[in-house]
Amino acid sequence: MPHSVKIVMIEDDHGHARLIEKNIRRANISNEIEHFADGSSALEHLFSEKVLNNGPLLILLDLNLPDMSGTDILEKIKSDERLRRAPVVILTTTDDKVEIQRCYDLGCNVYITKPVEYESFSDAIRQLGLFLSVIQAPEIS
Amino acid sequence: MEWNIRENLVTFSRFLRTGGLGRSLLGLLSLAFVLLLIVNLATFFMIGRTTEFHETVDRSHRVQTAARDLLIRLVDAETGQRGYLLTGSQEFLTIHDEAIRDLPGLMQALDDLTAQDAEVRDRVDRLREMARERIGIMEATISLGRAQRSGDAIGIVREGRGKELMDQMRAEISAIDAIEEERWASRRQQSEWSAGATVGINALAGILILMLAGIVAWMVMRYLRQMQSAQMELDRINANLENEVRDRTGDLIRANEEIQRFAYIVSHDLRAPLVNVMGYTSELETAGQIIDRQMSRVETEAPDLMESDALLAVREDVPEAIGFIRASTEKMDRLINAILKLSREGRRVLTAEPIDMTKMVQKIADAVNHQTESVGAEVEVTDLPGLTGDRLSLEQVFGNLIDNAVKYLSPDRPGRIRVEGVDLADGMVEYRIIDNGRGISDRDHERIFELFRRAGKQDQPGEGLGLAFVKNSVRRMGGDITVESKLGEGSTFLLKFPKRLS
Repeated sequence: MPHSVKIVMIEDDHGHARLIEKNIRRANISNEIEHFADGSSALEHLFSEKVLNNGPLLILLDLNLPDMSGTDILEKIKSDERLRRAPVVILTTTDDKVEIQRCYDLGCNVYITKPVEYESFSDAIRQLGLFLSVIQAPEIS
Repeated sequence: MEWNIRENLVTFSRFLRTGGLGRSLLGLLSLAFVLLLIVNLATFFMIGRTTEFHETVDRSHRVQTAARDLLIRLVDAETGQRGYLLTGSQEFLTIHDEAIRDLPGLMQALDDLTAQDAEVRDRVDRLREMARERIGIMEATISLGRAQRSGDAIGIVREGRGKELMDQMRAEISAIDAIEEERWASRRQQSEWSAGATVGINALAGILILMLAGIVAWMVMRYLRQMQSAQMELDRINANLENEVRDRTGDLIRANEEIQRFAYIVSHDLRAPLVNVMGYTSELETAGQIIDRQMSRVETEAPDLMESDALLAVREDVPEAIGFIRASTEKMDRLINAILKLSREGRRVLTAEPIDMTKMVQKIADAVNHQTESVGAEVEVTDLPGLTGDRLSLEQVFGNLIDNAVKYLSPDRPGRIRVEGVDLADGMVEYRIIDNGRGISDRDHERIFELFRRAGKQDQPGEGLGLAFVKNSVRRMGGDITVESKLGEGSTFLLKFPKRLS
């Protein structure tokens, strides 16, 4: 992944956030990761001028947030003229068929269920890292 | 008569007391009938009295007439006698003779009329005696007249005995007349009274019957009104009941949905911390391994620095602790997954399709073939009645039960599992899965269907989920499941489904 792509991680569980970050780093992804523990601060950041004119970004999004549903955030991102091209990776514990369909309908690019089994979890995140290293993210302008 | 009325009144009041429209009406109608009977009898009595009155009047009249006729004929005879004595004319004698000839008949008629009448009888007797004497005197004068002795004859007349007798007879007849007159008047009074009484009774009975009719009409009206209001009340209650049933059903559906949603949310929220527990346990393990490697280096390069309990902690205590944490977390994950599965299954929409049960169950039996063969067991599937139901649910139910039967066979004897079924009369179909396995103790017959509960020797893997899941599915299809089993002898699972899934 080009060095300039910033990763925005919206994840309310600090433990999860830390594990995700660790495993991404283990996959040799050194891009800047900005962590937000709730939806409103994440949205505030995403819709700030700083982000809108500051190069490509990729969003890691959890669905179960304390203040709002991840799907609401997804909807807002995907309906925004400039942000909608940013790749969104849903990373959540939910594996409900209906929820997955809804996220793809709203325009999420990848949906990953967090496995409880840590081996699988770290594998999944590392593979995501490998995936991130090859994908191209468009500029936000 | 009076007794009848009283009895009816008593009965009537009893009817009123015991209630019931039919009985009250019967009582009232009986009373009306009795009143009509009274009217009838009174009228009948009155007619009798009237007839009697008429007879009395008629008889009195005839007595009076007969007495007067007698007198008139006597006067006629006297007139003839006197004319003959005065003129010697034969013509007068003829008048006399005709009158005399009529007299015995008239006398007899009067006798007959008054034969039973003690009051008049004496007078009539006296009348007869006087008449005979008067006739005797007349005959004597006429005989003298015939013998040309008119002077003697007139002398007898002049003696006045004849006139005296005539006067006495007139007096007697007047007396009889008066008696009959009085009787007639008294009878008329009686008759008038009885006619009045009859009219009174008729009028009273008429009023009473009208009143009874009024009461009956009122009771019927009241009854109809009560019926109507009861009907309205019933309609209202029915409507309420329907609303209530609808509300309750809605509540139940909502409650069920909430429970499903709750189970879903809880299991997801429970999963999130588990990811951390598992994750950081692994991180700890990795860290432990790094420390272990470091300690191994210290052990070889500077053995005197090595604390034996530090080594023990890193090499045994930490891995053991991590092992337990991991095992428990995995178990917890399985339980959460079980709840999730139940919740998801509960939300699945059932679809009805006709199913060849024999074919379906045989396929399930074939799937466990390798397991049964290895322990010398066999699954027999008899001809099963088909049904219209949800294929996936039925496959899961039968699959689970047959798996269980195979899993819990008794090691003491070759396993025999038999699936049979029969159509029931009430639109249901029953299937039985019969095994000769280890059986289930009486106290566990309910428990085995509960979530996470297991029974008997815990020598087989499982979460205590299968039968809870089966029961849930069976219930969703409108069916029921029960077990008959004796510990050590085998179990029979009885499944009942509606022939058509609604």
